[in-house]
Amino acid sequence: MTTTDVPARTARPSRPAVPKRRPRREREGAAWVFLSPWVLGATVLTLLPMAVSLYLSFTDYDLFNPPRWVGLRNYTQMFTEDPRYWRSVLTTLTYVVLAVPLQLALALLVAIALKSMKRGKAFYRSAFYAPSLLGASMSIALVWRAVFNDGGTVDNLFGTGGWVNKPGWALLAVALLTVWQFGAPMVIFLAGLQQIPAELYEAAAVDGAGTWRQFLSVTVPMLSPVLFFNLVLQTIQAFQVFTPAFAVSAGKGGPADSTLVYTLYLYDRGFVASHMGYASAMAWVLLLVIGAVTVVLFRTSRSWVFYASDTDGGAR
Amino acid sequence: MPGHRTKGFCASAAALVLCAVLAGCGGSGDSTGDGKVVLRYTWWGNPDRAERTEQAVALFEKQHPDVRVQTSFSGYDAYKQKLATQAAGGDAPDVMQLDYRQIDQYASGDVLLDLAQQKSVLRTSEIDQGLLATGRVDGTQYAVPQGRGTETVVYDVKTWQDSGVPLPHEGWTWDDWADAMRELARRTGRPGATDPGQSEDAFEVWLRGRGKSLYTEDGRLGFTADDLTRWWTFTDRLRREGAVSPAEQTTQLDGSVENTPLGRGKATSDTNWDAPSSGYLAIIPTGVALAPMPSGEDGTPGQYFKPSMFLGVSANTDHPKEAAQLVDFLINDREAAEILGASRGIPVNETIREEVGPRLKDFDKTVADYQSSLEGTLKDPPQAPPSGDNALQTTFQRDYDQVSYERMSPREAAENYVTEAKAELRS
Repeated sequence: MTTTDVPARTARPSRPAVPKRRPRREREGAAWVFLSPWVLGATVLTLLPMAVSLYLSFTDYDLFNPPRWVGLRNYTQMFTEDPRYWRSVLTTLTYVVLAVPLQLALALLVAIALKSMKRGKAFYRSAFYAPSLLGASMSIALVWRAVFNDGGTVDNLFGTGGWVNKPGWALLAVALLTVWQFGAPMVIFLAGLQQIPAELYEAAAVDGAGTWRQFLSVTVPMLSPVLFFNLVLQTIQAFQVFTPAFAVSAGKGGPADSTLVYTLYLYDRGFVASHMGYASAMAWVLLLVIGAVTVVLFRTSRSWVFYASDTDGGAR
Repeated sequence: MPGHRTKGFCASAAALVLCAVLAGCGGSGDSTGDGKVVLRYTWWGNPDRAERTEQAVALFEKQHPDVRVQTSFSGYDAYKQKLATQAAGGDAPDVMQLDYRQIDQYASGDVLLDLAQQKSVLRTSEIDQGLLATGRVDGTQYAVPQGRGTETVVYDVKTWQDSGVPLPHEGWTWDDWADAMRELARRTGRPGATDPGQSEDAFEVWLRGRGKSLYTEDGRLGFTADDLTRWWTFTDRLRREGAVSPAEQTTQLDGSVENTPLGRGKATSDTNWDAPSSGYLAIIPTGVALAPMPSGEDGTPGQYFKPSMFLGVSANTDHPKEAAQLVDFLINDREAAEILGASRGIPVNETIREEVGPRLKDFDKTVADYQSSLEGTLKDPPQAPPSGDNALQTTFQRDYDQVSYERMSPREAAENYVTEAKAELRS
């Protein structure tokens, strides 16, 4: 193709039009060439599979026989005939409500502590970030299972027995694995904290505000856009939790379905029970629910997220 | 126009990349440069089975210098999922090990070759006819059983003997078994056995002892919620009494012997398949023994000789003859049988069983002796379970978890299971 491009380029000066700026269409063309790896990847690896999965969600497909159109049956079965589905929804909601606030609180706490550090900030920042790099791996999740199992560290220290075998506690063990990976929101919080102008704290101190007051009246409002960003991101991720639940329950979502989160049940229906149609339907419902939750979060954000530029009139 | 040219460029670039990608995917070459036929052969199992299989395959390659066999194996759960994905993509291995639960699904999905087409190289005449029939779906022989296994009560000999509780005997009933478990628990201070309530296999033995079956001949549920309620009430009571393992122990079962209560030193016995019970020897150095499963109250035996695994040939294979030769070798070759021993259960070839049987060593011999003690007393195996059974096995465990953690009554859980099973079998 490069050889055919050459005459096109040499021919250009003969054209009368704008000499310096290339025509819009041509610039777009170049953009498409540079975009093509991504466009190709997105189409072949994301959009096409999504379209196929949407189609499959209206079929009965066991991987072996061709998909058979069943209309809305997967959806009606999910909502009306599958008690385990609703248990998995409840488990996932519990998990989100448990893991997200805990993780954000811990991330914020550590970020504040780091901000006020005089020395060794870089070291501790890396140290606290490390679990986020390790924690996503299967091996750490397996270690987690061992730590919380019968005869594991937690059992030996507190004599509580293995959490992973107690329906009331297993989900907490899964949530703690996520909470521990607070590195990403922590770094974002830290960046946000460093953006808050020092004079605001000085002014507050002059007005007689203590540490707690300063936190509530300066830090929280100034940080609210970052807080909101982290909240949305972590909530979306929490709804899709899979690896920790899979590993901590040894792939079964037990005991007594207590860690059978939505995606784990989806995986079970698709790859263990070979109901790909049903699993696809579950995936689409999850997508819609996450979308809806995100919209709700954005709506509520209007009343509590404070953008400095609103009052500054865009001065910054 | 330059714009158009660029679009054309994009399209051809995309096409090029696609071609490259697809070529990369289709690289499972059929023959090597030296003109050898390459067969892919996959199975699941533990390292012991893998080592013996590799030896047998090496022998096959020696006998057939024009064939090279690529092998791969993994644990059962991983194997099952990988094989299903490969099969769905039309890329099933030439020779594959299959479970009883997979036969129906794979046969009806046109994944498997009709083995009768290759009967000139694949001999089945020396295989027990009842067992051979288990590899048929709708009258077509899609797979050949490779070994046979049966369920057993495997127990820690020393602990049981020291406790003074009479050892299990042939013909014992579920009531005898329950009494023994209570007695063991009382004298040893720990549960007598794994809670069998979670096991669809144990339930099947109990059910057959009552003259019923898991599935009817047309692949529907062969029992009612009342039957299951009775079974779960029976096991639930034993659990509450401490005669069988508590929920926290039972829920940790994952198919490996190491994670059973017996393997953890938390119980005296386990109900398991006979060949895999060899794993207990490494954990319990004083030795384990195999006893028959309890029978129904009127003496009806519930257990049966089950094909422990099958060999099938892919319908898409380019080398059906060589693939069939490999299957024939693994099943009918005497030297192969000596190498493989009882790693996949006792050989199905009756001539080989008689010849190789007496020379089996160690636990292979224990299993062989156990099976010959049952010879002639058991009823015919049921036909291959319907494809939904694959998923139902897990559902069964899950529903019983609700019982053993006391979140549901046996009745509620049993009714749940029957509803789920009916939906599963309908689709």
